[in-house]
Amino acid sequence: MTTVPARPPLVRRGDRFLAGVCSGLAMHLGWPVRNVRVAMVLASLAGGAGVVFYAWLWIMVPTADESARRQARRPASPIAPAVSREPVPASVPRAAAPAGTGASLGGPGAVPPGVADGGRGVDAAPPDARGYASGGQAPGHASEAARPPWFRFREMRYGKEILLGVGLLLAGGILVAQLLGVDVPLGTLIPAAAVLGGASIAWMQLDETRRAGLVDKTKADQAGGWARLAAGLALVVAGVLVMVSGSGSWEQTWLALLASVAVLGGVVLVLLPWALKFWRDLEAERAGRIRETERAEIAAHLHDSVLQTLALIQRRAANEHDVVRLARAQERELRGWLFEDPGKDAGQLSDRIKAAAAEVEDLLGNAVEVVSVGDAPVSEGHEALIQASREAMLNGSRHGGGTVSVYLEASDGRAEVFIKDRGPGFDLQDVPEDRLGVRESIIGRMNRHGGTATITSTSEGTEVRLGFPAAPQDSTEGKP
Amino acid sequence: MNTTQGAGTGPVRTARSARVVIVDDHAIFRSGLKADLDPSIHVVGEAATVEQAIAVIAQQRPDVVLLDVHLPGGLGGGGREVIAGSAALLTTTKFLALSVSDAAEDVVAVIRAGARGYVTKTISGAEITDAVYRVAGGDAVFSPRLAGFVLDAFGTAPADIADDELDKLSARELEVMRLIARGYSYKEVAKELFISIKTVETHVSAVLRKLQLSSRHELTKWAAERRLL
Repeated sequence: MTTVPARPPLVRRGDRFLAGVCSGLAMHLGWPVRNVRVAMVLASLAGGAGVVFYAWLWIMVPTADESARRQARRPASPIAPAVSREPVPASVPRAAAPAGTGASLGGPGAVPPGVADGGRGVDAAPPDARGYASGGQAPGHASEAARPPWFRFREMRYGKEILLGVGLLLAGGILVAQLLGVDVPLGTLIPAAAVLGGASIAWMQLDETRRAGLVDKTKADQAGGWARLAAGLALVVAGVLVMVSGSGSWEQTWLALLASVAVLGGVVLVLLPWALKFWRDLEAERAGRIRETERAEIAAHLHDSVLQTLALIQRRAANEHDVVRLARAQERELRGWLFEDPGKDAGQLSDRIKAAAAEVEDLLGNAVEVVSVGDAPVSEGHEALIQASREAMLNGSRHGGGTVSVYLEASDGRAEVFIKDRGPGFDLQDVPEDRLGVRESIIGRMNRHGGTATITSTSEGTEVRLGFPAAPQDSTEGKP
Repeated sequence: MNTTQGAGTGPVRTARSARVVIVDDHAIFRSGLKADLDPSIHVVGEAATVEQAIAVIAQQRPDVVLLDVHLPGGLGGGGREVIAGSAALLTTTKFLALSVSDAAEDVVAVIRAGARGYVTKTISGAEITDAVYRVAGGDAVFSPRLAGFVLDAFGTAPADIADDELDKLSARELEVMRLIARGYSYKEVAKELFISIKTVETHVSAVLRKLQLSSRHELTKWAAERRLL
């Protein structure tokens, strides 16, 4: 069915005599309109078949306008679309289960247009909805996998139409044969058709299950699968029963039904342990695979980060400063990977302060320990706070020569940062006028942006206190 | 984290000595720690698993147990399980948690189990010696990070008179916690707040008690968010 040549889609066209069916059909088939109309009239004379066919197409085939509207929403036309245009996966749902089932069910027993229409009507709305729903998804395999498996059949795209056609042909043939006086054994044919239909439904299910790898399915999919399996099974059982009992007698059929259900129950009882074991093996294998994937991911991460760093450390073993710096950088990276909450909003104030601390650590090699309480989204004024903090950390790390402690306390209203080192300290009065680090980058910057900065320095260390915005009453501590 | 809580008070107490058990599953870390500790501290036992630790502690009855938060063995509870298993000795044996973990749930879990303090493994030998004596003397040892956790859990608003005293930190306790989180040693905190070191220690112990006993709604919620309780 993939070899269908490129055809214009089947729509009712504007150059109409009655409803535009014939011209549309002609365009679709590539025949002259006149021939189609003649054939239709001839068919109408043959027991009204042409009239029924015409009416059916009238109902089923959209007008060119409708089709255009639909195409605007969906890449492909609903009925036997031209394959030249490869539809986006969103339109694959065409091989929808309800229609397929309807075709199989009604197959032999002359599908009346109403039934087919029902199936179509049911199915006409959802594909649009699905088209919308999956329109937002990324095209390709990701969205393919996200869809329930029975919508996933590319090959089955025209399966419904073909099944319907075969069924109609069969029914038509039987009718014609009966008209011609041939005795058609309907009593055998109908059950046989039921068996075939049921079996194919069940097998289609199996095929899908295999395709889905038997594992990566959601519960809802499984429920749908089970329903279809049950429907197929019921059809097959009913067909076999009617065929074997050979009569339409209800009593006999009921008895046989009872017996067969009993037998089936016995078979299920015997096979159940195997099935369960099979299922458990599958689950175990799946769990094992997930674990293996996780392990591989961790191994990859450790290889990319920790092992590389260890190799570097061995090569630089002579340079203590480099070793400490490498170890700190690796520790930071690993901590981020192990302990960071992935659900947390990135880019909060605390993240920015920590990033600044990491930068300073990398630059100067001394540890910068950040403790943060609360958090806030970064506002424009916070940028100045972050820059001033970074400058203070740089100073602390450069002149303090040891660990720098950073404490951030933030809420939506106010943020405070304290940067403390244990260096020999300095007197702000003694800093030459041309040295801008402290005066400009910290104090001046904070004041310009409506914050505060105070510096306390003793021989035991220096602490820079930054606040933004300026608090109504400054710092609760004893010293300002 | 290698800020010096109580640095400078250590030498005052050098006349003392302490018996210590080191519990850590890494032999390299245990020997490194042993070498770092002050000679006045006698390591009387080592253990690498939960079961070994409980047995060694029961046998040696040390003054202080240096306890890794993450330990193999037992029911998987790590350091918390060791403390629970040694509950009968809690009056004489103090536990000081050691961890490389930054995760709040790890830290607060051992504190709530009964540990008297928490320090990170990058701490220097002098600092850990000081912390051991502090814990042995019945005080609590808070690292800046633990102080940060406490402030996060209890909130930074001071308690009203009407509040249940377990459920909030007093204004003074908040000040002490903030200063510790900022990297101040106990001595520096005392100087900053014009109080004695003894008073600082009292405040810190009170906070530790609240952290261990409080069933405060926010603390429960905070802990539950971190899968702690």
